[in-house]
Amino acid sequence: MITPLQGRPTVQLRGEDGSIRSVPQLRRHQPHSSPSLSWNGRYLALITQRGKRLAVILDRLNGRLHPLPLPGGRDPIRLSLAPDARRLALQVADKGQWRVELLDLSELLEPDRATGQTLTTPPLENIR
Amino acid sequence: MTPVISLLLTLVLLGCSGPRPKPLPDLNGLLRQNAGSRREPSLAQRWLASLTLRGGREQVELMDLGARQPVPLPGLNRADAQPISVSVSADGTRLAVVQQRDERTELVLYRRSVGTVQRLPLEPPGVPRAVSLNADGRRMAVQVSRGGRWEVDLIRLP
Repeated sequence: MITPLQGRPTVQLRGEDGSIRSVPQLRRHQPHSSPSLSWNGRYLALITQRGKRLAVILDRLNGRLHPLPLPGGRDPIRLSLAPDARRLALQVADKGQWRVELLDLSELLEPDRATGQTLTTPPLENIR
Repeated sequence: MTPVISLLLTLVLLGCSGPRPKPLPDLNGLLRQNAGSRREPSLAQRWLASLTLRGGREQVELMDLGARQPVPLPGLNRADAQPISVSVSADGTRLAVVQQRDERTELVLYRRSVGTVQRLPLEPPGVPRAVSLNADGRRMAVQVSRGGRWEVDLIRLP
């Protein structure tokens, strides 16, 4: 969620028990907006301000921050991260209309799968 | 600089840039054609919920990205309701919506399997603004205005 810290809208994580955790990697580049978590909370996507609006994804497992500049230099307005972090939806302005565009993140991030999800390899067809 | 060094430098720089997110031109083209304006995206595994503008009226749309077409939402988009925020569960069976109706702002849960809209009262009362359903559709976070302050309520769902 977004909370004003020293007057600057800043992302924080709130646990189900009500505990609040700050995100050290995101102490700067406010205002923050549109936070979105993956299934197990490994990835946190949000919009930051670095001269202009910039979507970023934080990998909370290793602390790595992935900036996601948009083609054409457009500004992201809102975003939504798929629960498994394979895709990201971004709301942008285009010729006076709101648009939603999808990005494939599968080459950038490991998936964050639901707990207990069964994993199988593809069927080994054509193997004798 | 010789052409060989220049080529090597280019290759090194390309190698350092690493993997990047890739636009999905087919799906993005489909989303552009499908509605005049689209906002408030909520992305699940194969589902995209959003607010789309058609015929001058905004409504909730749920797109099946696998089948590449919107699915019917009978009973949800009433003519007297103006949606403000939408969120979909990972399996696409539940939609949480903040909407304005009869001059009040309400939070509702739509279950696609039975086509029912259930109004969810806020306690203590407040004005909902935005909603986020978690992936399993059993909990939601609601941004609520109470006495001029923004608060976030966590609500468990049966």
